[in-house]
Amino acid sequence: MASSKAARMGEEVWKTRTEKINLEVLTLTYGTLVSQLTHDLRDPATNIPDYAAINTELDRMGHSIGLRLIEDFLAKTSSAGPAPCNNFRETAEMIAKVGFKIFLNVTPRVENWDKEGRSFGLVFEEMPVSEFVELPDDGRAQEELWFLNLFCGVVKGALEMVQMQVKAEWVSDVLRGDDTTEMRVTLIRYIEDEMPPDDE
Amino acid sequence: MPSMVGPPPDVPPKEPPYTAILPAKPFHSRLHSPSSRKTIYDRNLNRTQTTPTSLPSFAYLFNTLITYHHSKSGSVSEIETRLNRAGYPIGIKLLDLLLYRQARAAVRPTRIIDLLQFVHTTLWRALFGRAADALEQGVSNKNEYMIFDNEPVVNTYLSVPKEMSQLNCAAFVAGILEGVCDAAGFGMEGVTAHWASASGGTGGAEGEGNKEEEMWPGKTIFLLRFGEVAMRREEAFKAGGG
Amino acid sequence: MSYYFTIIGTRDNPLFELDFGTSKVGGDGVARFREEAKYMNQFIVHAALDVVEEVQWTNKEMYLKRIDSFQNNHVHCFLTGGNVKFMLLMNPDPTATTYSAYPTSQPSRPSTARQSTTLLAASPNSQATEEAVRAFMLEVYENWVKCIMNPFYQVNQVVTSPVFRNRVATAAKKYL
Repeated sequence: MASSKAARMGEEVWKTRTEKINLEVLTLTYGTLVSQLTHDLRDPATNIPDYAAINTELDRMGHSIGLRLIEDFLAKTSSAGPAPCNNFRETAEMIAKVGFKIFLNVTPRVENWDKEGRSFGLVFEEMPVSEFVELPDDGRAQEELWFLNLFCGVVKGALEMVQMQVKAEWVSDVLRGDDTTEMRVTLIRYIEDEMPPDDE
Repeated sequence: MPSMVGPPPDVPPKEPPYTAILPAKPFHSRLHSPSSRKTIYDRNLNRTQTTPTSLPSFAYLFNTLITYHHSKSGSVSEIETRLNRAGYPIGIKLLDLLLYRQARAAVRPTRIIDLLQFVHTTLWRALFGRAADALEQGVSNKNEYMIFDNEPVVNTYLSVPKEMSQLNCAAFVAGILEGVCDAAGFGMEGVTAHWASASGGTGGAEGEGNKEEEMWPGKTIFLLRFGEVAMRREEAFKAGGG
Repeated sequence: MSYYFTIIGTRDNPLFELDFGTSKVGGDGVARFREEAKYMNQFIVHAALDVVEEVQWTNKEMYLKRIDSFQNNHVHCFLTGGNVKFMLLMNPDPTATTYSAYPTSQPSRPSTARQSTTLLAASPNSQATEEAVRAFMLEVYENWVKCIMNPFYQVNQVVTSPVFRNRVATAAKKYL
């Protein structure tokens, strides 16, 4: 129920309230950013990219995007009716069907809930940002680099601004030879609000 | 390869230092692909040609890129050079992607005018969904051409600190142009992005600002400076009546 | 017919190489170059690069057709927008009897294919050959563009992808 409402909201905001740009401009820019990091962040001894450091840097960049993006998200969705965001399950639907829809024009599936309902997977059937990417054939990138790690940071940063501390990490990526591309999002805690939830 | 005018010393070169490597035979790839066998070679190059995505998302990402290069730079000109270098490889890729998409109609731009047309129209449409606003030859220097964009989309949603108001982040687009032109074999002296108005992108033309400046505060001029080899080749063509 | 295909970077550096024989008219797809011919092939292609440089600014086409010949070797060239050169050397083995030595029990092919490839084997500068090579080059070009679109691919980097190699081999099988 929350799912179809979120889907409708996502569609509407995407169609009527989102300025567009050619997807390829975004994907090429993202590619250039990650490839820059593989140049800059290298192990000085071996001159091999430090993929762990690149993951961290992408995550950090995404986090700071998330902190700012949430305002835009709330502004765009508020006029499309009240957000069905009363529990973590509804939050998951909002991230998948509204958040990713309006900011990336993709809709991941929400799957693989844990028993407690505190952790779910976002499964991406397609990921335009990595459409033309092949990781370096150095025997390490496919084991160590999460090309899309910026997006984990975005999810974390955005949820933090609405009082949710979450862990977000990729657990599989077709770029690594996996069969799926899945981000795992786990609720750590609700940040005790200084503001009551209904406060405008 | 002609060098840019005074790039800061620690800015990466256009290409990594070249070392001739012959493919080791037999080369054993260590890459694995998913069981669906989807690799980049299975994708359709035309699929995402006109797919839209969110402009704000691009703006967030582009801001991130600028912040990153800002953090590594000591001056406005160094940020611009770094943004140019970030765009440069994109230009190299786009030249062939766009030619591929023209299929049988594709011809290589071999003359300066063909190349400028390609940039002004084909490249601009692919990136920004419209042609650039104008194309002019420089008055004082024969090797200079200017492409005008009244409202570069890369400067929308961009908040550049006041003290850096001269910074024009369209330097990134200038880098894309330089990549296209260099790849096509025109050995550029450089491609740079400049504000059309003295007040920069702030739109804060004081007092009697002229109409044009008010209407297009972000108007940007891309200055393309062709290298000597390309100029000599062009002269030879003209002399040969071609 | 035996082929040597190579991709040459903007600094005349080889980025990719592949030998193959015709798969048409019962060919087994294996190149029949003798040992010393392998060095000669590189040499002949390299010499042909000078011809490419002479015409690359006067001919706007990407496919430059047959640009050079040396003894029984013929070199076709396709030039990308980024001035990377696809060079295809073909050598119809002078001892044409080689072809008839192959088993004749190969799966039958459509008659048009057989016809065009008979021509292909017979005359490297015929119209049919030019068109077959064009089709081959365009298919390689498509894969080349996919290869360079990768943000991790840098100009003049050697192409090691086995998938790319397979794609070139497949195109060779299909058209040559």
